[in-house]
Amino acid sequence: MLKPKEMSRAIIVGHKEIMEETIEALHGTNLFHLEDYNEDGSGLKLGRPFENAGEVSKKIVQLRSISSFLGISKSDAPKQKESTVISDLDSKLEKLDTEVTEKTEKRSELESKLKELETLKKDLAPFSAIPIDMELYRNYENIAVFAGTVKEDVGPAISKVTSAYEMEYDHNSGTVVLFVKKEDEAKTSEVLSNFEYRELRIPEISGKPQTLIAGFASEEANIQKQIDALETDMQAIKDKYSEFILASDEVLSIKAEKAEAPVKIATSEHTFIVDGWVPADSVSKLENIVNTATNGRAYVSVQEIEKKDTDIIPIEYDNPKVTRPFQEIMDLYARPKYKEIDPTALIFLSFPLFYGMILGDIGYALILLTLAVAIKKMVNSDAVKPLMNVLIYCQISTLIFGILYAEFLGFPLASLHTDHGSIPGLIAGFETITLFTTPIAGEPITYPIHRTHLVMTMIIATALIGLLHINFGYILGFINEKRNHGFTAAMLEKGSWIVVELGIALAVLGYTGIAPTQVIGIIVFLIGLVMLIKGEGAIAVIELPALLSNALSYTRLIAVGLSSIYIASTVNLIAFDMIWSQGGIVAAIGAILVFIFGHALNTVLSIIAPGLHALRLQYVEFFGKFYEGGGRKYNPFGYIRKYTEE
Amino acid sequence: MVDAATTATMMDPAGLKAIGAGLAVGLTGLASGIAEKDIGSAAIGAMAENESLFGKGLILTVIPETIVIFGLVVALLIS
Repeated sequence: MLKPKEMSRAIIVGHKEIMEETIEALHGTNLFHLEDYNEDGSGLKLGRPFENAGEVSKKIVQLRSISSFLGISKSDAPKQKESTVISDLDSKLEKLDTEVTEKTEKRSELESKLKELETLKKDLAPFSAIPIDMELYRNYENIAVFAGTVKEDVGPAISKVTSAYEMEYDHNSGTVVLFVKKEDEAKTSEVLSNFEYRELRIPEISGKPQTLIAGFASEEANIQKQIDALETDMQAIKDKYSEFILASDEVLSIKAEKAEAPVKIATSEHTFIVDGWVPADSVSKLENIVNTATNGRAYVSVQEIEKKDTDIIPIEYDNPKVTRPFQEIMDLYARPKYKEIDPTALIFLSFPLFYGMILGDIGYALILLTLAVAIKKMVNSDAVKPLMNVLIYCQISTLIFGILYAEFLGFPLASLHTDHGSIPGLIAGFETITLFTTPIAGEPITYPIHRTHLVMTMIIATALIGLLHINFGYILGFINEKRNHGFTAAMLEKGSWIVVELGIALAVLGYTGIAPTQVIGIIVFLIGLVMLIKGEGAIAVIELPALLSNALSYTRLIAVGLSSIYIASTVNLIAFDMIWSQGGIVAAIGAILVFIFGHALNTVLSIIAPGLHALRLQYVEFFGKFYEGGGRKYNPFGYIRKYTEE
Repeated sequence: MVDAATTATMMDPAGLKAIGAGLAVGLTGLASGIAEKDIGSAAIGAMAENESLFGKGLILTVIPETIVIFGLVVALLIS
């Protein structure tokens, strides 16, 4: 907790004969973060992939293309024995390949036929009202054929230039078909051009257009039926083989990873050297496994970590299970560096706290909690699960704050006493209890806390929470700096901020008359300022106002919450207004619709707005004070089996 | 003494408050929007090239939200 896992650098050396066994063992443990070797002129060369690499990758390509044709997605398949998968692999793969290829080819053939019919239909459509066989449009020696569209009837105009013509004209589509003698072609063309004549393509087909079009429909339906049948077949194949495909994909991926591994390893003529990282507490386990696999012929040595290497140490989180979902949120920003504090556990506390403070509504908490639990149960994805866990934590916090605020979908549960009399709450007889009056704003603090009527107090309270959070960040920054650059640097860079704040606080106390003088405050402030300039340079002065804006930034804890209350209560107001003022079944249905739709919208906003703002307070205000991040992910060489077992 | 003309031109303080609060939220909202527009489109562009920038882009996009939050706080203080 609060620190990434301690890592050790391990180097494994051995004779090339046992390279395969060593790699096999390393892959099986899934512990060793393999460091790629770059040829650096030391005489060592990159290794060559094992012999089976080509064959394995060929099979993978074949399998994956089948899998993408069938549209196979990850699922909760029962685990299969690796040996059975391997023994079936070749025969099944061959069979699957021929079947799937045949089916997909057939399908694309049918689909292209369908498309052809489609274009033909489009080409024929303008001719549909003209009762001339399509073969009569072609192959004349002495007759010219015009087929196209015009904006109005050309008959009268044509009859002026020639008497020997045959014409069909469709008023609706503006299609004209004109047969004239070859010698009249030029004249006719000239006339037609005055009528915005646009030539149509004459489809290469015979028969009356109308009957043809009618025939297409049944032909299309026929093809579609064949395609559907093929799809059903494919679905059957998919259902039958999807477990096999997932399992063999896994087996092949493992094989490929092992076969390609030598490419990352330094080798000489007879030896190999594997360089990498392993969690410090697993070193002996690694040694044992390598020794057993190679009969002690490979040598594992743990290296001293040099200072220049600290930046490349892969980072593995070291958190208890409860806080682990928040690693996802850390990764979204950046992994910590090796020598840095890992704030996952801190976010685990403050992120749900802030989220709950913002939303604080029993109704939304219950809705979102149910939703999160349901999604977690139904969706089996490694990316979604941690996020749902985070959401669940947040909703528990929201529920607690909801009880504190006594709000349900924007309705106050308790009665509210104001200067203009008292308003009853949703629960009859639930009275607000006044506890005490705040010294800051003179507003009475009550249970439940009516956020809408304690704005001033809440704003000041949230800003104070902000100051606390920020200073906590400075303290963490102090620890980080001290660890890396010593006490003086830490005091000047991070401690100075605390001194500056102390100075401001003392000066304010003096100004308001609580402390006798404000001079001390100003002196402390100046000392802090000098330290700050020494620590971070003169430019740091520009950052001084950020102290104020950062603290005020936390007022969003109340402001965003209020905006969500106002949206909810507006929805409630509209819905109830519809029922009370109009009555009747129609108004009631309308009111229910408004209520559901409005609150559904607000529920969505309730994930986004509080989540983003709580996140931002962590990332910008909090992390800005101490966190650098940028560590490499610990990515051990190995594979976590999901569909197979040895 | 207050004559009819001055009463007519005198404005209701509650109304002025409401206008002030409205301006505070509205103008800061516009300002946040303008700022977020540029950041957002740049962030999407960056994400198209490298999906792992989502986190950074998200943070950068919400940064100007502070402006409208301050506006909202001011509006709450006025009303």
